[in-house]
Amino acid sequence: MFGRPDNTADEQLDRTGQMLVRAAADNDAAAETAVNAPFLYARVRARIATAQAAERNEADEGWLALLGVARRAVPALTGVAAFVFALMLWLASGSTATANGFGDEAYYGTETGVERTVLASRDNLSGDEVLSIIVDREERGQR
Amino acid sequence: MHPSDEPTDDALVTATCAGDEAAFEQLFERHRRRVARIASRFFARPEQIEEIIQESFTKAYLALHSFAGAHAASFSAWLAQITVNACYDELRRMQRRPEQQLGELNDAEAHALSTQLQRTTNASASDVESALVARDLAGKLLARLAPDDRLVLTLLDAEGLSVAEIAQLTGWSGAKVKVRAHRARAHLRRILRKYL
Repeated sequence: MFGRPDNTADEQLDRTGQMLVRAAADNDAAAETAVNAPFLYARVRARIATAQAAERNEADEGWLALLGVARRAVPALTGVAAFVFALMLWLASGSTATANGFGDEAYYGTETGVERTVLASRDNLSGDEVLSIIVDREERGQR
Repeated sequence: MHPSDEPTDDALVTATCAGDEAAFEQLFERHRRRVARIASRFFARPEQIEEIIQESFTKAYLALHSFAGAHAASFSAWLAQITVNACYDELRRMQRRPEQQLGELNDAEAHALSTQLQRTTNASASDVESALVARDLAGKLLARLAPDDRLVLTLLDAEGLSVAEIAQLTGWSGAKVKVRAHRARAHLRRILRKYL
């Protein structure tokens, strides 16, 4: 009831819209001109040839692009591999030292704690034995 | 030559796929008017229509093997699909190019359009069509629609196709075509209200 005036207006606008669409689509003369354009088929053939050439180029360029990527990737991958190898070596050497209880500090360090670690790892000494060794050394030092 | 002696479209497609260039030329001669007519529903300038003809036949040629392989539709229906898609692509390209957008009307054009529309809303349909001689104004107005909206409205109102036929041509679902048509009409109403 209340919507009727709006509906009528909308219907009227729809009819006007349809007429506009039909008017805008009424280009038969232009279509006829286009169909009768000179060398139309020759231009279609030329476009087909261009499209085919572009397709072939795309296929070739695909391979070239792949090669280009490979060329850039190989040095980078080599670098990464070298880094990983160096890292593995370093880790391996580190873990060996830990396993045997020998680190560089064991040779250069002068603290008692270091000595104790070295001894404990090598000979599996008990705490009492370590203590007695230290006491012996101190006694020798006093003499 | 008697019409029944002429090779069918399917025979010409097979011959073209086998490398017979003359067969494709025959297909071109046979269907170019129909392609031009479809393009002319969307574009007013001959060079635009010619562009669509070239694009459609090029796409058809390059995809001819897929058609010859297994396609339920006739060559004519298949070519119409390609043409509608080419028109749709061109409408979208035009919308992206600012220099091609004809949406803005100057004051004189807006006044002329308003007068025309006022006259048309009070007149009969036959008067209206004769009154709308200012086709470029109608084109400018429709250029404000989204490509999807314009495509659906043109196929519905200018070509007089059904929802199912439009769905087949565009590859959209029937529901999408209906929703698009509804939205397009609402959008066109909003545009027209400005000038009435």
